[in-house]
Amino acid sequence: MRRSRDQIITTHVGSLSRPAELLALNNARASGAADAAAYATGLATAVADVVNKQREVGIDIPNDGEFGKPMSAAYDYGAWWNYAFERLDGFAAPDSIPESEHKKSTVAQLSLTSFARRRDWQRFSEFYQDPTSGLVGSAPARRARRPVCIGPIRYKGQAQTQADIANLKKAMTAADVEEGFMTSVAPASFARGEDLHYKSEEEFVAATAEAMREEYRAIIDAGLVLQIDDPSLPDNWDMIDPEPPLEEFKKFSRMRIDALNHALRGLPEDRIRYHICWGSWHGPHTTDIPLANIVDLVLAVRAQAYSVEAGNVRHEHEWRVWQDTKLPNGKILIPGVVSHATNVVEHPRLVADRIMRFAQVVGRENVIASTDCGLGGRIHTQIAWAKLAALAEGAKLATHELWQ
Amino acid sequence: MKRSIDRILTTHVGSLPRPNDLVELYRDNTPDDTLQPRLRSAIADVVRRQAASGIDVVNDGEFGKAMRRAVDFGAWWSYVYDRLAGFELREEQAKKGRAAWTFGSKERKEFAEFYAAEASAGQGGAGSGPSAAQSGTSTARLYGLTCTAPVKYTGQAAIQHDVQNLTAALGGSRVEETFVTAVSPATLQILPNEYYKSREDYTWALAEAIREEYKAIVDAGFILQIDDPALVDIYDWWFSLNGDLAGYRKWAEFQVEAVNHALQGIPEDRVRFHICWGSWHGPHNGDVPLKDVVDLLLKVKAQGYSVEAGNVRHEHEWKVWKDTKLPEGKLLMPGVVSHATNVLEHPELVADRIVRFAHVVGRENVVASTDCGLGGRIHPQIAWAKLTALAEGAKLASSELWR
Repeated sequence: MRRSRDQIITTHVGSLSRPAELLALNNARASGAADAAAYATGLATAVADVVNKQREVGIDIPNDGEFGKPMSAAYDYGAWWNYAFERLDGFAAPDSIPESEHKKSTVAQLSLTSFARRRDWQRFSEFYQDPTSGLVGSAPARRARRPVCIGPIRYKGQAQTQADIANLKKAMTAADVEEGFMTSVAPASFARGEDLHYKSEEEFVAATAEAMREEYRAIIDAGLVLQIDDPSLPDNWDMIDPEPPLEEFKKFSRMRIDALNHALRGLPEDRIRYHICWGSWHGPHTTDIPLANIVDLVLAVRAQAYSVEAGNVRHEHEWRVWQDTKLPNGKILIPGVVSHATNVVEHPRLVADRIMRFAQVVGRENVIASTDCGLGGRIHTQIAWAKLAALAEGAKLATHELWQ
Repeated sequence: MKRSIDRILTTHVGSLPRPNDLVELYRDNTPDDTLQPRLRSAIADVVRRQAASGIDVVNDGEFGKAMRRAVDFGAWWSYVYDRLAGFELREEQAKKGRAAWTFGSKERKEFAEFYAAEASAGQGGAGSGPSAAQSGTSTARLYGLTCTAPVKYTGQAAIQHDVQNLTAALGGSRVEETFVTAVSPATLQILPNEYYKSREDYTWALAEAIREEYKAIVDAGFILQIDDPALVDIYDWWFSLNGDLAGYRKWAEFQVEAVNHALQGIPEDRVRFHICWGSWHGPHNGDVPLKDVVDLLLKVKAQGYSVEAGNVRHEHEWKVWKDTKLPEGKLLMPGVVSHATNVLEHPELVADRIVRFAHVVGRENVVASTDCGLGGRIHPQIAWAKLTALAEGAKLASSELWR
């Protein structure tokens, strides 16, 4: 994996704004009306463009913008995980199965409640429930349930993943980019819905992990850096109601990390980066679990690099966590230094200041500057690109100071 | 004016969320005999709530400034046209909205798609996607006002109501100090003028008129806060297309003279002066840097300067105060929580921001504040949570700074 040897290099978390033509193709495909060849060509063209655009704006390690993970509208927060529904056997659409009751957690058996019953969503219910709050994906729009597991889970997304890989590699060659990454959902971030097939949550998560391993391997085999997206590690905390004792939560999470590590067995650690964030919705986030409480779990993941939200007002102060917790030798930190949580574009000087803080704590060669979360679908496309440009400018300023 | 003698004091920029029924009373232009009693009780509530949230220097939430819908970015200036004579509404002009008075903004040009999407989506909250940039006000029609006759302050009764309501509300509340906001001459002179021979004459006349309101506030024993976002945000609206910094500075220098004229005879230590770069939820890429205007800001005859510093475009500017010394006796009121994001500032971040300022200008010279008024610009529930985070952060900072 590339690191910041003589300059601070830049990347981002994955999702980029889908062009209107691609959204139209996605919608046609979803309704069964798409011409497969037209979709394939349209997707490949869009990926070529977006890789070029990333290079032009100054992103050193680009991806395919997650364009192969279908988003149906310009604002869509869920494509990063729900793409896998199409690529896994054993799940059924939620509306075909009767809904279970809202789960209240008990200490003996922690369980996740629904999205709309998150603790922050209850605490700020007036805001979250207000249809005029302007919140995209506000509570009333979050009624959709997750796919339900009804049979043995098996991976069936080989063709789609190979197409994604081919598109990205071709685009990288054309744009003369040496390293690119591809995202894939963590087992525990996908297996958060109901399970009617397996005997335990442990078996359910393990089966998802075993299936997703195929996708992880395919990405690495193709020479790309694999990014595992796992917001569930921190944001499950807010989905357990009432707030659980920390030790119980860590046990609950440890099982999920173990499953991920099992899925990553034998894969080269230096080709893997692991992304966490506390959920990308534009809410107060007051019930986010502090990074300090889970940093040991993050570092337990068999990855070389850790991508952690640090560019918004709820988590910015957490750069200090790395003063107390040593980043192990050889590892890389990929902090978010620009965020989708505000339309205001980060001043490059602020970006540089944030990078400097991390560099001074963990060493400049161990920092890759990034975003908090994918920008696509979460903020206006013009602002998203301006933020990537600010990220690159800020990295330049920081480089200048760190290597002067 | 109180300063942070043995702990960091807190305040905010002014606007607070109006109760729904008060918005409706204003919207329906309810007569005073119905409006005033409700206004008075709402102000009593909002003063109590500020005190309970840990805000030391409180105000009336600007409730006496009519807000006719829950999301409204403009009441801080639109209120004054109920209190000034000499203006006429031109419908054609009004239809153009802000476009009626901008000479072309670089940011609006660069981010045209974003602003178009925002305009078509209507209003929204901070950082919340397509509808987030909300730039309208319930009084957008006021952009159609033109000065056609001598400007005269006619708001004597209105400001007396404000003063009386606030005085009544303070009974029983434990607060350190109280402020009342009023608009700046620079903001007023943006609207076109057909009566005065020059923009300068027009500005002097406006300064003379609004001075009456300033005096009434100070005479009543309150701290006067002058709201002057125009002083910095006009750069983007009028000068950015040509990058005309010199022209902008000349303009700004004259505005400072005008506001100082309006402040003549008013004791400096009863005045605080607020600037911000416009409160709309846009990229703010075109904002003029603080360092390019800070010398002019410090010429304003005020003791306290309230400056946006809690959002990602201006946060780095705390360093400006390393190079520019805050003059002896002055106070800085940096924004350490912002309306530009729905995410709630972590109290530790708030404390970090305060401590940074305290180290540069001295702990006793910092009063922790917001970037801008929170009312009408962010959801009420979040607005109040931000004030609580501000107070918690100030406590953390105090324990670090006075240990």
